[in-house]
Amino acid sequence: MSTRQVAMVMDLNKCLGCQTCTVACKRLWTRREGMAHMWWNSVNTQPGTGTPHGWEHMGGGFKDGEAQPGHRPTVSEYGKAWDFNHQEVAFGGKPDAFLKPEGGDPGKGPNWDEDIGGGEYPNSNYFYLPRICNHCTHPACLKACPRKSISKREEDGIVLIDEDRCRGYRFCQEACPYKKIYYNELAGVSEKCIFCFPRIDEGVTTACSRQCPGRVRFVGYLDDPAGPIHKLVHQHKVALPLHAEYGTQPNVYYVPPMSPPRLDAEGNPTDEPRVPTEYLVSLFGPRVVEVLEHLKAERARAAAGETSEVLDLLISRKWLDLFGPFTKHPRETEGAKLSHAAKGAPL
Amino acid sequence: MKCIRVDRIELAPDARIWTAQPVTAIDMVATPPGLQPTAYIQNSWADRPYGRITPLRVAAIHDGEMLAIRLSWKPVGGGNPDFPDAAAIALPVSGDPVLGLMGAPDAPIHLLRWQTHHDGGELIRSILAEGIGSTRPGPEIKRRVGVRRHDGLIDIVIARTLGQGAGAAPLLAGKTTKIGFAVWDGGNEERAGIKAFSGDWIDLALDA
Repeated sequence: MSTRQVAMVMDLNKCLGCQTCTVACKRLWTRREGMAHMWWNSVNTQPGTGTPHGWEHMGGGFKDGEAQPGHRPTVSEYGKAWDFNHQEVAFGGKPDAFLKPEGGDPGKGPNWDEDIGGGEYPNSNYFYLPRICNHCTHPACLKACPRKSISKREEDGIVLIDEDRCRGYRFCQEACPYKKIYYNELAGVSEKCIFCFPRIDEGVTTACSRQCPGRVRFVGYLDDPAGPIHKLVHQHKVALPLHAEYGTQPNVYYVPPMSPPRLDAEGNPTDEPRVPTEYLVSLFGPRVVEVLEHLKAERARAAAGETSEVLDLLISRKWLDLFGPFTKHPRETEGAKLSHAAKGAPL
Repeated sequence: MKCIRVDRIELAPDARIWTAQPVTAIDMVATPPGLQPTAYIQNSWADRPYGRITPLRVAAIHDGEMLAIRLSWKPVGGGNPDFPDAAAIALPVSGDPVLGLMGAPDAPIHLLRWQTHHDGGELIRSILAEGIGSTRPGPEIKRRVGVRRHDGLIDIVIARTLGQGAGAAPLLAGKTTKIGFAVWDGGNEERAGIKAFSGDWIDLALDA
């Protein structure tokens, strides 16, 4: 058990599915050989099968405290990293050529069901669900590893894989119910989101949260009453874990998406939200109903000219308020200074 | 089991020298489910068969400098490509280690483990074990491997220098030591403690 737990809250009402978080993570951490298929941060359209495809039905996690068998996702289930025929289209001299993945049947990409969503017109609906490793309080991956290659940091609960100890047995992939562990075939080791711990150690928030143009992601310690995480999770109780029933106590929380009213056959608004409540319950548990009611009431208060502490917090007018104690600029870190010095550049 | 002295060992599993050697058929057994180191592995393999490769056919020779062990078996797995076929020989370094427990801190086991690398090369790793789940890189010792796959069989020859010291299990001409074996059926997704093994040590008498 860690003495503190760093955590993230993602406000799904603000996520616009731009994948900037995904690219920020990709550029920083998963550009080495064998990592082409890895998206430590992913954003999928819900309802949908997600990444890897159908991950919610792949098992793992705990039931009544018992470790549950799980499926080990294949690279094609994660979604292959396609190479495209750019050369042919741009320089091939074929006016009819169009952009397509090379190498025969491309299968599914990691975000193949983007914007499909659910429902029928005029009640079609979707929202975006960003996901990273949940840095669980009871990590199924850690418990499954026969090598003790996975540890949870004492000071902040970040879950890390020791690649020197890992032998690529991949029990962690099977045991993780969120399927957020990837296998590097070339290195022969499992790899996953590290919650940007080198940045966290220097007081810089994660790349995904800092780069998010929608101000979706809050970062901080769960037990810091002055920080945004404690306020959203414990004080205002508007942030919920994803699939808490998996039994790992995840430390990424979500403010569930509100949606416009469902329309009846005549096109008139009803009292039902367009994103079906039962679907949100299936993701975030039964408490999602009271959270949505609470948010609705707070919106009504704000619309009536009253102040709403929770909405002020969620709006986050001051960008750095999102990041708790991790507000330092990356260029102010010791590593950046050393890098600049090595290049002979001014600090 | 006898280790016959020859003029020169051969790494090729189909080399003529091997046809003249006595072959011992080792009855292999699955590692006990209760000894799997995590509840996840125990639960996820509780209803799955594993460790079904048996017998393992073994022959041993040495030339005064190198010892060579020829292993031959028939994989039975379902052809899953995620994990390689693999095999290991185990030798006690010191003390009186229990093979099934992979040794202990005061009684380590030295393993030479073969598998085919993803790039097609043949890997033979030197590994030291001091208990289940404890394996770490073993002593740098001269070792080689020869591999042949044919007619649904895998034949390999694992060779290492004779001698002792620096963490390597002692192997001395004219002496008797113990040896154990393990085989992983890659097609059945066998890895780590999910494997077939020889159950207990087998005496290996090296010709003088």
